Parts: sequence; C-alpha cells; structure tokens
Amino acid sequence: MIVLSIIIGCLVGIILGVFAPTISYAYTDYLAISIVAALDSVFGGIVATLKNNFNFKVFVTGFFGNAILSILLTLLGNKLDVDIYLAAIVVFVGRMFNNLTIIRRHYLEKWEQTEAKNKAKLEEKKSE
Amino acid sequence: MKNKMQVAISIGIMCVLLTGAIVVQINTISKGAQIVGTSYAEQSLKDAVLKWKENYENMYNTLEKTKNDLEKVRQETTKENDSSNELEEKLANANKLLGLTELTGSGVIVTLADNDTIDVSIVGNANDYVVHDGDLMEIVNELKNAGAEAISINGQRITSITAISCQGTVITVNGEKINSPFVIKAIGNSESLSAISRPGGYLELLKNYVITNIEKSSNVTVEKYNGVISSKYMKNVQ
Repeated sequence: MIVLSIIIGCLVGIILGVFAPTISYAYTDYLAISIVAALDSVFGGIVATLKNNFNFKVFVTGFFGNAILSILLTLLGNKLDVDIYLAAIVVFVGRMFNNLTIIRRHYLEKWEQTEAKNKAKLEEKKSE
Repeated sequence: MKNKMQVAISIGIMCVLLTGAIVVQINTISKGAQIVGTSYAEQSLKDAVLKWKENYENMYNTLEKTKNDLEKVRQETTKENDSSNELEEKLANANKLLGLTELTGSGVIVTLADNDTIDVSIVGNANDYVVHDGDLMEIVNELKNAGAEAISINGQRITSITAISCQGTVITVNGEKINSPFVIKAIGNSESLSAISRPGGYLELLKNYVITNIEKSSNVTVEKYNGVISSKYMKNVQ
C-alpha cells in the first residue's frame, strides 16, 4: 500500500512538474535548498524504518519543518549577504551520506548473513 | 487499518510535492541557463543586475512618493496666498518647460524600426538597414524645427541636456538604453509636425532603408524626464 502510494505520488509529481509553469529565476535558490532538506528527511525516514523506530509524525514534521527552516535561513542569508545556504547544504548532504552508509551496511550485512547460511547448508549436504 | 491508509496518503502527497518541486526546479534552471549562460560568474552577475534593478525601482518609487508629498505641501501652503500662488504657477510652468512633468496634447507619433525583412546576402551592407543614433537626432531636430514643444523617444524625454548616443548595438537616450522600434512622440501643431514626412525630407530618405510610420494624433502623451538636471557650474552673470 505504502509502496504503491509512493510510486503513484512520484508519477503524479513528475507529470504536475512538467506541466507546471516555471518559477521566477530569483527563487531557484530557495526551492533548491528546500528540495535538499526534503531529500535529507526521506533518507532519515528510510534509516529509521530499518532501525524499526520510524515515527510518522516525526517524519512529516521533519520533512516540512526542515524545508521551511532552510528557506528561511537562505532568506536571512540573502538579507545579510552571507551564503548561509552553503552551511545548510553541507549539513544536509553530510547527513544524507551518513544515512546512505547506514542503509548500505544494513543491506550488506543482511546479504552476508544469507550467503553464510547458504554456505553452511551446502557444507552440511556435502558432509552427508 | 485506517491509520495505515492515512500514512500512505500523506507519503503519497509528500512524494508529489518532492518530485514536482524537483522537476519544476530542473525546468527553471535549464530555461534560465539558456538565457543566461552556464558559467557561475555569469549567473552571479545576472543576480547582481536583478538586485540593483530592484533597488533602483524601490528608490524610484520612494522618489515618486516624496515628489507627490512635496507637491501636496506646496499646494496647501499656497492655497490662500496670492503672491505665492503666482510663484506656484511660475514654478509649474518652468517644470513643464524643463521636462519634469508628463504632458499631453496634439502632435504626432513617429515610429522607426530596424528593417528585418531584407535579405542580407543580397543587399550587401546590412548596417544601412538599421536605425542609427544619427537618424534619431535628425528626426528630433526636424520635429523641433517644425515647432515641437515636447519630444520623447521610447519614454525618454528630450530635455535641454539630453544626449542621443550610439553604444555599439544599442542607442542610449538620457543614458538609458533603448531598442528598436523607436517611438518618437512629439507635442505641437500636428499638421506642421506631420510635414516632416515631406518629399525630400529626412524621413522620406529613411523610408528607403528602415521601416517608418508617422501618425497624427490629438492626444499624445509625452513622458517626463526621470533624471536630475544639475547646475553645478552654471552661475548668474553679475
């Protein structure tokens, strides 16, 4: 059900995005940073699912909260003439890499375990 | 079960938002890159230009507001005083002559445009078929000769200190860039002003090269001069 909703959501989003009007060039900075923030939340959500401590409310508030906060920070940076969005990107992307590492290790370990099990079974057969 | 449904719908909506935003962003960037060029330096230059433009517009709006306030104060103070009333009238007249107010009246609208219908490989010199700064100067001079009281080109008022100059591919009037088509509006006797299209006149000559059009109108609006006329070196003779 959830997988289905993700696929349908992505398809609808792509179709809507293709036909939606482009935004003003001045706002691309803000949209970009909010996309990075949202992607960070998605990876965080996947890791939480793997660790079995996924909390839906935390996920949703993080998704929108991070996006809005990063937009506000970028706005503040523009007003102060400091590239604050760079700091936000470093943090988000750094966290995304951390989460990716956790996801990769999780699946690698799983794969190794199944491999070891298969080997053990084979040896059992041979010894018989 | 109901809870799961809610979660699925929420995640679906979030997916829509996320992918939609990504696609819109990609569209915008690729469109912007076509116009701007891809290098970072160019983009930041464009950003800077946009910022300054916004600044300029804000400043201009403030100036406009202040001018209106000043006008109000002036009118209020001169309401009951006869001599200052007269002064006020003089001031208004002087501003009119200096080009600091928007004016309307009968006149002509002359339009000159680059001739893009010609085939460059046949005619030889394509340079002959675009409007030059000299053409504008000549037309403005002919209009003045015919008794024009106020003239503007593409919204730039011709004042006593206005320069028309060539900046490579663009023409500047009052330091502002203007492009083809050039709309020259002049207030005056529309009959005599329209006589600049007479045979043997400069407009007649131009007609062979660029696209020209002249129309009489009883209601021409000439824009005001937006800059500042300085008087740093001028002094009254004792």
